[in-house]
Amino acid sequence: MGESSNSSASYIHMVQHLIEKCLIFHMSKEECMDALSKHANIKPVITSTVWNELEKENKEFFEAYAKVKSNDDRMSEEETSQMIQKIISQSSKGAGNE
Amino acid sequence: MNTAYQLSHTCTHTLISISRECSYLLHFPTKGCERKIQDIFMLAVVSPLRSTRDESQGTMESFSIGADDFADLSEGNLLESINFDDLFMGINDEEDALPDLEMDPEMLAEFSLSEESEIASSPLSVPNSNKSDCNSINNGKNTITAKKQEESNKAATSSSDSGSSQEIVSKSGESVVVNPSPKESEKGRKSSTHQSRNNPQGKRKVKVDWTPELHRRFVQAVEQLGVDKAVPSRILEIMGIDCLTRHNIASHLQKYRSHRKHLLAREAEAARWSQRKQLGGVGIGGKREVNPWLAPTIGFPPITPVHHFRPLHVWGHHTMDHSFMHIWPKHLPYSSPPPPPPTWPPRTAPSPPHLDPLYWHQHHRGPNAPTPGTPCFPQPLTTTRFGSQTVPGIPPHHAIYQIVDPGIGIPATQPPPRPLFDFHPSKESIDAAISDVLSKPWLPLPLGLKAPALDGVMGELQRQGIPKIPPSCA
Repeated sequence: MGESSNSSASYIHMVQHLIEKCLIFHMSKEECMDALSKHANIKPVITSTVWNELEKENKEFFEAYAKVKSNDDRMSEEETSQMIQKIISQSSKGAGNE
Repeated sequence: MNTAYQLSHTCTHTLISISRECSYLLHFPTKGCERKIQDIFMLAVVSPLRSTRDESQGTMESFSIGADDFADLSEGNLLESINFDDLFMGINDEEDALPDLEMDPEMLAEFSLSEESEIASSPLSVPNSNKSDCNSINNGKNTITAKKQEESNKAATSSSDSGSSQEIVSKSGESVVVNPSPKESEKGRKSSTHQSRNNPQGKRKVKVDWTPELHRRFVQAVEQLGVDKAVPSRILEIMGIDCLTRHNIASHLQKYRSHRKHLLAREAEAARWSQRKQLGGVGIGGKREVNPWLAPTIGFPPITPVHHFRPLHVWGHHTMDHSFMHIWPKHLPYSSPPPPPPTWPPRTAPSPPHLDPLYWHQHHRGPNAPTPGTPCFPQPLTTTRFGSQTVPGIPPHHAIYQIVDPGIGIPATQPPPRPLFDFHPSKESIDAAISDVLSKPWLPLPLGLKAPALDGVMGELQRQGIPKIPPSCA
């Protein structure tokens, strides 16, 4: 392995694949680097580089991706807070609920 | 055992193996198929003639004898060439003890059977006591099994598995009747023959019937050990069922893991779709409207194991709709993240494949997952980035993947007992998705992003100090 650009190409392809999987999970670049490093033994710098290159090639996608993430976060925050509040009140009240 | 007995067993056994081979070949035709089929039939012819020594291998290799002698068989229809009547006749005559009536049709049925490949071999030394257990686990057709025990002790297979009478059967002339005895009896028998591990007649992998109960125990054992650490031998110990062999467990484990991965990946996707749908999406792929989570249930009804099935078909993520990106830039190929791994059921239509993953899934969820009714804090499965800021000290739950995201100002201070809106997939999901990629590099890219220029990447990496990839270590 490593004797020709082929293996590099396939390695990069693999990293791209992994990154895409992370994107599905809505992870950020850092999270991705972390995950790939932990689970697939891929150096963060490599993940980062590939991510950057991907971003360059797919600008639109990443832009939209960023928007989506921020939307989500906002929304989730509220909802999560609500949910937590609700649960707390429920549990403190026991059976009764408002 | 007298020779005749052995011989008949051999013959039967061989036929069984032949049928198995045939069915295998029928389903998975290979290049050397014709040759193989030839060999198979040669076996049929040869076996009775040979001593009983090695047929039990159940493989064709051992019958390398005089292939040439049978060269003429290769011409035309092998089936025709082989005079089954004689074969079976011979067996009958020689063996008084054998319940003639039972044996022939059964053998024939077996032979003609294609699906029931794992035909239990032999019953030579099957202790009955254990059989009952297995049977009850597998089929509960104890009576049939019990009845068959004696016969099974003599007959290598019996049960006419609801086999349709095939031409071979009819060909044989005798007792063409294919007893359409219920499959269970065969299964029962099969399971009973489980016991005869050291069945000299053949190292058949007796087919295990993974009933929901059995599977549930399996899942429990696996979870106890930890999915990734679960070793078949330990699982076997924990399950404590004699009917199973390490091999059975191993293959079941493999399937289980594979299903889990697919499920996890599918769930991620499902969440995305669902969320998009929920949030009104961006008019993307309207066809995706079908809530993938519902899909599986539709396919479910016919399955009995579904009883304890909760409509929560995703690893506890049923409500995590919100968390996933709901808006996908239009240039993404939505047509569904491309042909997902074969086991992913089609999103828009509930189809049989659903059943399977769900079967796996529901059992897995059984032990540890909250019901849909709970305000879902699917414990081990989700985490949230919210919690991360205030939860630095929280040791990751066995399966929680803590992701610290400083970017999010979190008002909520609780270290969530894992709020259900997980924006973050659990460590397990990620791990599963990643291993999926690692193990199946040929899979299409889920997003199909445009790949960067190789040179650009390599150049950049070199600048960063990575001369070549793949690097030797992380």
